[in-house]
Amino acid sequence: MNREMLAAVIRKDLVLWFKNRFFAVVTVLALVAYAGIYYLLPSEIDETLEIGIFAPVAASALAAPLEEEGVLLQEYASELALKEAVIEGEVPVGVRFPDDLLSALALGERPLVDVYLSADLPQEFSDLYPILVEEWVALMAGTSMPVEFNEEILGVDKAGSLTPTRDRMLPLLAVFVLMVEVLGLSSLISEEVTTGTIQALLITPLSTEGLFTAKGIFGVGFAFIQVTLLMLVTGGLIKEPLLILVILLVSAVMVTGIAFLLASASKDMMSAMWKGMLALLILAIPAMNVLLPGLTSDWIKVIPSFYMVDAVHQVINFDASWGAVWTNLLILAAFAAVFLALGVFALRRKFR
Amino acid sequence: MSIRRIGVLLWKELSKGSRNFIFIMALVVPVVISLLLALLFGTFFSDRAKLGIVDEGSSQIPARAAAMEALIVREFDNASELKEAVSRGAVDIGMVLPEGFDDRVAAREPAEVAGYIWGESGLDSRAILVTSILALFRDVAGYEPPVEIVTTTLGEAQALPWEDRLLPFILLMAVMIGGVMVPAASLAQERQDRTLVALTITPTTLGDVLTAKGIIGVLVAATMSVVTLALNRAFGGDAVLLIGALVLGSIMAVIFGLLLGVMTKDINTLFGTIKAMGLILYAPAFIFMFPEIPQWIARLFPTYYIIGPVIEITQMGAGLEEVLPELIILVVLILALIAVTAYAARRKSEAAA
Repeated sequence: MNREMLAAVIRKDLVLWFKNRFFAVVTVLALVAYAGIYYLLPSEIDETLEIGIFAPVAASALAAPLEEEGVLLQEYASELALKEAVIEGEVPVGVRFPDDLLSALALGERPLVDVYLSADLPQEFSDLYPILVEEWVALMAGTSMPVEFNEEILGVDKAGSLTPTRDRMLPLLAVFVLMVEVLGLSSLISEEVTTGTIQALLITPLSTEGLFTAKGIFGVGFAFIQVTLLMLVTGGLIKEPLLILVILLVSAVMVTGIAFLLASASKDMMSAMWKGMLALLILAIPAMNVLLPGLTSDWIKVIPSFYMVDAVHQVINFDASWGAVWTNLLILAAFAAVFLALGVFALRRKFR
Repeated sequence: MSIRRIGVLLWKELSKGSRNFIFIMALVVPVVISLLLALLFGTFFSDRAKLGIVDEGSSQIPARAAAMEALIVREFDNASELKEAVSRGAVDIGMVLPEGFDDRVAAREPAEVAGYIWGESGLDSRAILVTSILALFRDVAGYEPPVEIVTTTLGEAQALPWEDRLLPFILLMAVMIGGVMVPAASLAQERQDRTLVALTITPTTLGDVLTAKGIIGVLVAATMSVVTLALNRAFGGDAVLLIGALVLGSIMAVIFGLLLGVMTKDINTLFGTIKAMGLILYAPAFIFMFPEIPQWIARLFPTYYIIGPVIEITQMGAGLEEVLPELIILVVLILALIAVTAYAARRKSEAAA
């Protein structure tokens, strides 16, 4: 195996990749589009329920504790101003308390409260706000229930500082970038097998080992560079950059192994494409679970990409470090080794 | 052009082409996406807060909670199942109602409820759930609400649910895969495999081939549009007008697909071209998703006329009078595309000869 030959094969693969218009366009466009999607999404999550009120001073003072519970109160000077604010969409809901609210409550009367709902409000929230107001007034009236709610918070308490959707989406984007590389590499190899280029290469002094090394370096390098670029542009390398780079490198090795396997099972580009799409869908499930928590349960851990997605998610969004994700990294490395070995074995059989 | 030859080609397309990956994708993708979206928007993408309940007795609370539109309620068999669901975010808050809970609160006796809160649950979801839980407790205990609420809805705008916003996108996708991809990929594949040359040196003309592939495309696109509308519970309004608009839209997509098939030399180039044009083709559907964007912009894109009339008929109950101008533009676009495709096909045939 000599370096010049390896470099020549890698160069040839790179040229072939960009000669294929589909993958050339997808490679560049996808990176730009993913970064664009990331920056288009809001960087914060609004966790507040906004309510406009027109009320006696005492009532608004009593309402202050609600703000700690995620209810943001906006006071208006008159009922008319409150109604206009609802119509203009400044607040989705307006509440008008009567002047004698507190005295009426003290006398045990049931005062009348006006709730103005914006026509834009989804039906479920239209039903909810009146209940919210009733409970709010019950709080003001000091009507307590003899029920003790013993609460336990499970996981890291992120209330008030939720992870923005775009940062939850980052592992999904990374999986997509890696998988597009899988589609490209598997199509490239299967086409080379179909057209006989591989056999032509193997009758030169290039050995089978040399060919696999070159393809491996190209696959791993290309996938790693793309996914690193994405992380760099989106700020994914700010926390624990070395750890993230190691996770991405091991993931790149794993997807290269998957690409070898797919190529060995495909007869042309179309066949590699649909098998690759199927693999993409499966590998994207753990990332979807980060984006939409609760989607799956423990079975998700059988999908190899879970260990990459979870590690990236923990590091980026929960400040995890080496100690917290080393098991993920170890399992990911084991998957990478198995896929690479299987891929090389299957391709070697196909070349024969 | 011979009808018999077109019939033979049609049969060949149906028997051989239907095993093709793109053909299967055209049938499967709209169905899968529709079902997936129904699942996601029914639960996962919903703004509604999720409450998990374990009822150790026979409380009325689970049934009453399930009746509240603001909540998505799931019942669990035991506390450990509930805890596991809360810790992975399947529900925002979970509570365990002890046996005899309703009787205790009704008798104003102290009761304890174990509650679990998912750490990544937002303040708004927590506020909604805690308020709703309190309201449910009061309800079961027979407490009268401390105030009388009078609700008034202000303004004219109506909230457009995400399911409705996404419908044009799914519909356009069904038309595009069936109408554009099926004939274009089939044509490009035949050119790549040189079977197109073999066919056209027989008495079969390129026109016969294009017509057969076009008919298949229209059938697939129109059928899958109807299926997509039905799956999304959106098949409504004037059925004849709706099917007419869907067929016209499918014809436009098919002729565009045939043009792409004629112009591109192989499958790779075809996919590259479609990918590069994706944003323009799907732009009207993206604009429809965001009502904040002036909706007239969508009309600048030819693909708007594929979905625009259909959406107006199904979601706004429009009749022929309302959608006629758009249908006329659609017919003009179809005629223009036929002319361009015929010209391109003739040039290709001449070049090949």
